[in-house]
Amino acid sequence: MIRVENLTKSYGGFTAVDDVSFTAEAGRVTGFLGPNGAGKTTTMRVMTGLTPPTRGSVTIGGHRYADLPNPGRHVGVLLDASAQHAGRTGREVLALGARTMGLPTSRVDEMLALVSLDERESKRRIKNYSLGMRQRLGIAHALLGDPSVLILDEPANGLDPAGIRWMRGLLKSYADRGGAVLLSSHLLHEVEQIADEMILIGRGRIVAQGNKAELLAGQGALGTLVQAADNELLARALVGAGHEVAPAGAGLRVSAEPVVVGQAALAAQVALVDLRAAEGRGLEDLFLELTADTQREAPAATTVQGGTR
Amino acid sequence: MSTTTADPGAVRPPAALDVSSTPKVPFGRLASVELRKMLDTRAGFWLLVVSGLLLVAITGIVMAVVLANDLGISANGWVQVMTVPLSLLLPIFAITSVTAEWSQRTGLVSFTLEPHRLKIIGAKLAAVVLLVVATMVLAVALGALANLLYGALSGDDVVWNVDASQFFWTVANQLLYFLMAFGLAMLILSTPATIAIYYVVSLLLPFMVYSVVVVLVSWGADVIPWVDLGYAMAPLVGGGATGPGGVGLEVTGTTYAQVAVATLIWVVLPMVLGGRRVARAEIK
Repeated sequence: MIRVENLTKSYGGFTAVDDVSFTAEAGRVTGFLGPNGAGKTTTMRVMTGLTPPTRGSVTIGGHRYADLPNPGRHVGVLLDASAQHAGRTGREVLALGARTMGLPTSRVDEMLALVSLDERESKRRIKNYSLGMRQRLGIAHALLGDPSVLILDEPANGLDPAGIRWMRGLLKSYADRGGAVLLSSHLLHEVEQIADEMILIGRGRIVAQGNKAELLAGQGALGTLVQAADNELLARALVGAGHEVAPAGAGLRVSAEPVVVGQAALAAQVALVDLRAAEGRGLEDLFLELTADTQREAPAATTVQGGTR
Repeated sequence: MSTTTADPGAVRPPAALDVSSTPKVPFGRLASVELRKMLDTRAGFWLLVVSGLLLVAITGIVMAVVLANDLGISANGWVQVMTVPLSLLLPIFAITSVTAEWSQRTGLVSFTLEPHRLKIIGAKLAAVVLLVVATMVLAVALGALANLLYGALSGDDVVWNVDASQFFWTVANQLLYFLMAFGLAMLILSTPATIAIYYVVSLLLPFMVYSVVVVLVSWGADVIPWVDLGYAMAPLVGGGATGPGGVGLEVTGTTYAQVAVATLIWVVLPMVLGGRRVARAEIK
């Protein structure tokens, strides 16, 4: 639904987005993940026609954004929940949007109810809104025109845990009904639980993309974690069979599948306490590693050995 | 739903958007939204209230002074009086209508709902012109009332002497100042900076600097009308009465040339350059 092709945006000598290509499909939630300043927001601004690209193109459902008639009816956009006139009420902001798109005012009340802003809150001025309330209002505004594509920049920012769960359910059911959702975040956990597809971006370049299983599969064979009554004896037997063995916590990490390790233990007549496939490094380690050179802080755990997360 | 994704039976929803049945946002709707945006904030509300109070206050003061000194005033005089409070604060509407999209960052929403930025600028312009016309109508109505009241209070004959050409130029003058504010706003894209520059150019310079230059410097009276809208239009608006600084007020061919040049400098140029800036600027 959203197709980004070889998108590059540079400011003088600085390249904010560097040859980025990806798609966000209808019926799915696509997570756009990267540390601060990785180029997520710039990409989304190009998508919605606010920033001209240096090279490359973005189409939404086959159209350039500027060619969409009454774009609010097709694409719901939330780029910054705080970018609203502080002196307007929440209700007024939605009313202006509804009027621009040619929607009945009843739509405003529907949206307010959907994002749980009550009558009193909707009549308050936005300068008195918390970030979470602004975020809800922004989501209401994006959904106003009943669009089939949603582009949301950091929508979970400022929401409390209950709010984040609410938003997750909302976007999930929206995608299940056939909508395409692209949401950005710098927080992995937010995206991991909701996105069908993830795009990892660092320093303007895409460093990895795919679903969670695909991303983790790229990490290679992970081996087995085993703990025996006599670790030393088992280790000797495994090394004798040609496997690599390293101590890990109270047990061993072996470069073989669990069934092989079990058989070796049977042959060596060692009782096992614990035997399981190593889950390896989680998505978070992968994320931190892939975007390591763009992080401000050097991540401490890029080469985790016996992680049992 | 205006799109193709509503079919619940589809296993894989189509990747293309069918936009053929969606009409564009009509210009009139955009203009009505822009007009509403001017007035729906607290700042907009108070700006209107204060302007209204100024209008009433000035009517009262002029009435008192004229009656006390037995000066006599006609309908034409009232129209001239009424335009003053309107030109004092209302140009701020023209400015913030543009600059708020940047200062308050509402442009992120406005320009995604209508990506053709000059269409939005056109809608804002239409809203500003509508505001000028509406307030002028109000001023004329109030002026007529004041004129009747003056007749009743002074016992003099009520004089209805509004000259068509003079009235036309009064409205044009008002409109050009609003357009100048609008153009400067597009060029500068910052609320406080635009307001400051607008009042320096439209009020401070003419009253504090040009008025002195015209009197004291030999070439002043020849040059100033070419570079200041107020001086350029004074003969047309004043209709032969005294203008600022008491410059020669006869309407000649030069007057029109001066109006054209001053308009070019302060209205056309900011509009064109500002329009280009708005069309190209990145909205952040």
